[in-house]
Amino acid sequence: MPRGHKSKLRAREKRRQARGETQCLRGAQATAAKEEGSPSSSSLVLETTPQSLPAAGSDERATKQDEESPGTSQASSTTDRSRKTPLDQKAILLVQFLLRKYNMKETITKEDMLKYVIKKHKDHFHEILRRASELMVLAFGIDVKEVDTTRHCYVLISKLQRTRDERMSGEIMPKTGLLMTVLCVIFMKGNCAAEEDIWEVLNVMGIYAGRKHFMYGEPRKLITKDLVQEKYLEYRQVPNSDPPRYEFLWGPRARAETSKMKVLEFLAKIHDTTPNAFPSWYEEALRDEEERARARFAALARTNAIASARIRVSSSYFHP
Amino acid sequence: MGAPRSRSPRLEVPSYMQCSTRRMGIMTDVHRRFLQLLMTHGVLEEQAVKRLQKHCYKVHDRNAAVEKLEDFINNINSVLESLYIEVKKGVTEDDGRPVYALVNLATTSISKMASDFAENELDLFRKALELIIDSESGFASSTNILNLVDQLKGKKMRKKEAEQVLQKFVQNKWLIEKEGEFTLHSRAILEMEQYIRETYPDSVKMCNICHSLLIQGQSCETCGIRMHLPCVAKYFQSNSEPRCPHCNDYWPHEIPEIFNPEKEREAGISTSNKKSLRSRQH
Repeated sequence: MPRGHKSKLRAREKRRQARGETQCLRGAQATAAKEEGSPSSSSLVLETTPQSLPAAGSDERATKQDEESPGTSQASSTTDRSRKTPLDQKAILLVQFLLRKYNMKETITKEDMLKYVIKKHKDHFHEILRRASELMVLAFGIDVKEVDTTRHCYVLISKLQRTRDERMSGEIMPKTGLLMTVLCVIFMKGNCAAEEDIWEVLNVMGIYAGRKHFMYGEPRKLITKDLVQEKYLEYRQVPNSDPPRYEFLWGPRARAETSKMKVLEFLAKIHDTTPNAFPSWYEEALRDEEERARARFAALARTNAIASARIRVSSSYFHP
Repeated sequence: MGAPRSRSPRLEVPSYMQCSTRRMGIMTDVHRRFLQLLMTHGVLEEQAVKRLQKHCYKVHDRNAAVEKLEDFINNINSVLESLYIEVKKGVTEDDGRPVYALVNLATTSISKMASDFAENELDLFRKALELIIDSESGFASSTNILNLVDQLKGKKMRKKEAEQVLQKFVQNKWLIEKEGEFTLHSRAILEMEQYIRETYPDSVKMCNICHSLLIQGQSCETCGIRMHLPCVAKYFQSNSEPRCPHCNDYWPHEIPEIFNPEKEREAGISTSNKKSLRSRQH
């Protein structure tokens, strides 16, 4: 016998409720399975049916007007959005916010989260944060941990262990890590380093010519061609060398984008010290800083002189 | 679409979820590590992305076959879809290299960068963006941007500071600098295309071939249509008399070479090979 209308409605309601609860359960199950050591897989469920729910719609319209909604009318179908509760929407916005902070490697304060994301839903801060944290773990394997309970500061920590290769790749701009190292060696060798010196240092870091690195690809091509093309490095033959030997210098772009002081700071950080621990290089870096400041002021003065000359010309035009 | 992977031993999908018409992707630590590293880099070229994918497999699932990159990414995107985030593929405007970045699909205003930069810094970016969009070349000179420093909202910023802020944008891959001029980084284009099209509908330029946002490109001097450099290269490939697709006048510019990943690999082996390839192309 086909099911009656009421029975179908009841079943649908039950499914909807169960789905709401299992949103969180899915995550818990998945992490539990992971803890057991098996390679985990989990699905990210926020809503599954394409059916729209008019009840949620009015709520959603209110939040849409004075606050941002996480999606656009073009990017997602409206049926999806009407299924999400306002708290879910805030959780999604918070995830997007947290992801940016992960890239900047900054601590996040509750205050910032309230100001930029949660806004008028601040009474539900903990619930929104809880949902967002779950999504961060499920989708990205990133933990949101409170490090300061008085000032409510949080940090983002990867649940996945960094491999040796990844740590070598440096922090926010990995190519920069390798590049900074090369620039450092060049600086330390008196602003010009033989290719052998560079490789000596890179080999210690586990980077070898001809051996493809998961991040840098083939390192020799990277430093002798790619970075040279991008004007970060200069690669030239040592004059009158036979058999030909090669040396590296800073390229114009490296000179523009970084400085001897910054490179020294990079070196100091690696050795857990400060730049003045290397007195002769520190002196040279200081001189470089002075030179740059002078050049900047000179450029500004030139711009101002041109600007004021123009004003003088135009004023003399009106008052001959 | 096929049945969801409910029969996989690693994931239990209760019966009510099987009625979903959308295919559910499965997220493992391979995908999570991939996403974390992709985010760390901001934007990555295709070759590096492939290597990154292989690396993640090696760490977590040595015995599994490495999925084709396109499928791998579609899988990830199907899961991230509900967060309005996706791994988006784009092409660098100057030399046509495929690049990937994790982007936010929401077209909320520039203020989504708001939490990373101060109000006056954001406004500086906005001013630079407007100059870039309005320019003919897609580049805004440092001087022109810095001259707007007095008009910025928020705390007063001096030109010296503004120079540093512009460098910060370059470091964070929002802008590219070339000889004192600034244009948008491919990452910014990937992330902000929709925002830009909606905010500057009158001044925004579009490519006649791929119909997406155009910052740098070539234009027909007769009818004014524009094309990305890689789109020009592909469209006029091995055409000795290139003509404008719109008005049929002779195309007045030099046709750039298409980025060819095969050529890049061969170049790594020997430079002499590379020379002979180039002469064969044109």
